[in-house]
Amino acid sequence: MIDAQNLVKWYGPTLAVDDLSFNIPRGQIVGFLGPNGAGKSTTLRMLTGFLPPTAGRISVDGLDVLADSQAVRAKIGYLPENTPLYPEMRIDEYLHYRGRLYRMDRYARVQRIDEVCDRCGLSVVRRRLIGQLSRGNKQRVGLAGALLHDPPVLILDEPTAGLDPNQITHVRRLIEELRGKHTILLSTHILPEVEKIADKVMIIAGGKIVAQGSPDELRSAVASDARILVEVKADAAKVSQAFGGVDGVKEVETSMRDGWCRAVVTPKDGCDTREALGGAALSSGWLIREMRHESASLEQYFIQITARQSQAGVAEDTL
Amino acid sequence: MNQMLTIAKRELTSLFYSPIAYVVLGLFSLGTTMIFFIGFGPGQPATLRPTLEGVVWLLIFLVPAISMRLISEEFRSGTVEPLLTAPVTDTQVVVGKWLGAMGFFSVLLVPLLVLVAVLEITASPDFGPIVTGLVGLVLVGGFYLAIGAFASAATQNQIIAFMLTVFIICVFTIAMFFLPQAAFLGPGVREAMFYLNVNMQFADFNKGLIDTSNFVYFATGIALFLFLAVKLLESRRWR
Repeated sequence: MIDAQNLVKWYGPTLAVDDLSFNIPRGQIVGFLGPNGAGKSTTLRMLTGFLPPTAGRISVDGLDVLADSQAVRAKIGYLPENTPLYPEMRIDEYLHYRGRLYRMDRYARVQRIDEVCDRCGLSVVRRRLIGQLSRGNKQRVGLAGALLHDPPVLILDEPTAGLDPNQITHVRRLIEELRGKHTILLSTHILPEVEKIADKVMIIAGGKIVAQGSPDELRSAVASDARILVEVKADAAKVSQAFGGVDGVKEVETSMRDGWCRAVVTPKDGCDTREALGGAALSSGWLIREMRHESASLEQYFIQITARQSQAGVAEDTL
Repeated sequence: MNQMLTIAKRELTSLFYSPIAYVVLGLFSLGTTMIFFIGFGPGQPATLRPTLEGVVWLLIFLVPAISMRLISEEFRSGTVEPLLTAPVTDTQVVVGKWLGAMGFFSVLLVPLLVLVAVLEITASPDFGPIVTGLVGLVLVGGFYLAIGAFASAATQNQIIAFMLTVFIICVFTIAMFFLPQAAFLGPGVREAMFYLNVNMQFADFNKGLIDTSNFVYFATGIALFLFLAVKLLESRRWR
């Protein structure tokens, strides 16, 4: 549905997007993940045709974004970052205005506005001025505006930024309801948000895709980094010596806390060292307070790889 | 076309929601009425001509106040993004916004119509020059608003847009009035400069003359600056 090839975007001397290629099949929900300034918004803006890429090609539903700009725009519902709206308009007025821009006739507008207001939970505030709405409600108006013309492609730039946990859940549920009907590309810098709903996650940093796949695939990519945390009543030096001697252990970090030694053991790839570690502690006669298998979360993975990217000194500052 | 009118309508309503519109409307009514009553009294000609002559000068400062937020505000607030990703062309956006501002400008004529009514009640004015004078005024307004749309596409800052508009208007009025008096200019250049002077063009309308060349002048001016505004809007995406 969305096909991007070798996208490059320079802002003057700053490289914001560096040779990005991806393909999003129809009906998928794809999460675009990255730290602030990674080039997410820039990429989304290029997909919507708001910004032309310095190099590369984008097609949406087989149409070129630049050459068939008008046709492509009609297929996309776009929620820009920070949800810009006209504060002096009422929600109803704004949605009618958007509808007219998308060439919807009056009948279709009235019907669709009822639908999207219902769906986005705006029915009771429809006559209110946008400028007087709460952050959450503004976000809903933005979403309603993007959904209004029932576009096959939805591009949502940080749809949950600045919302409270309740509202985030609401937005997430809304996006889940849209699954199947629309191809959805959403960006965020909060990982758990996309982990739950996205079919595919693309992690970008420094304008490049650094990892992509389904959340499960990404999780299995990090699983090998799982660590074991053991707390025993013993001296730190002795513990790291004893645990370090266990088969399959790569690294032991120890720290003392109120008389207990906390050891974080990193096993070699694919080794399950829990049993051996327990045995080592028992044979030394140490008391065990805690033993936990710490499977690395996607979050850590995300932090790891994006940190690696920015350490590599790739262009940091974009929009 | 429909989308252009949609944009125009939104622009017009939003102008009425902004305090600046009422300030402009108030100052304009006050200014016109004051100018009107200078030449109003027994024995004076029942005409709007001196009033409109003064009003044209008022427009130099009042029209930029209407136009300064036309496009700059969209960029400042970010609403330009949903606007320019909707299926509308840049030309539709610029012309639509200009039309909306023209809609507001036409409201400014209401106090003038009141003055016409005063003339009608107290004397029997000749309506011919009054009508052509008002037509000329609308054209001047349209030209200044097109300049304003251009300036407002050039910057996100309303104040800068205002100043830039006033400056360009002054080039077409004050500069084109004084420059032709410079001795070193040839007669051809002088004539050309007089032709470029907005006030000279307007004076014909105010006299009751309707001349194609005057229409051509304003139509070209409006088209030129709206075209430049569209180009500027396009170029802002490339930068």
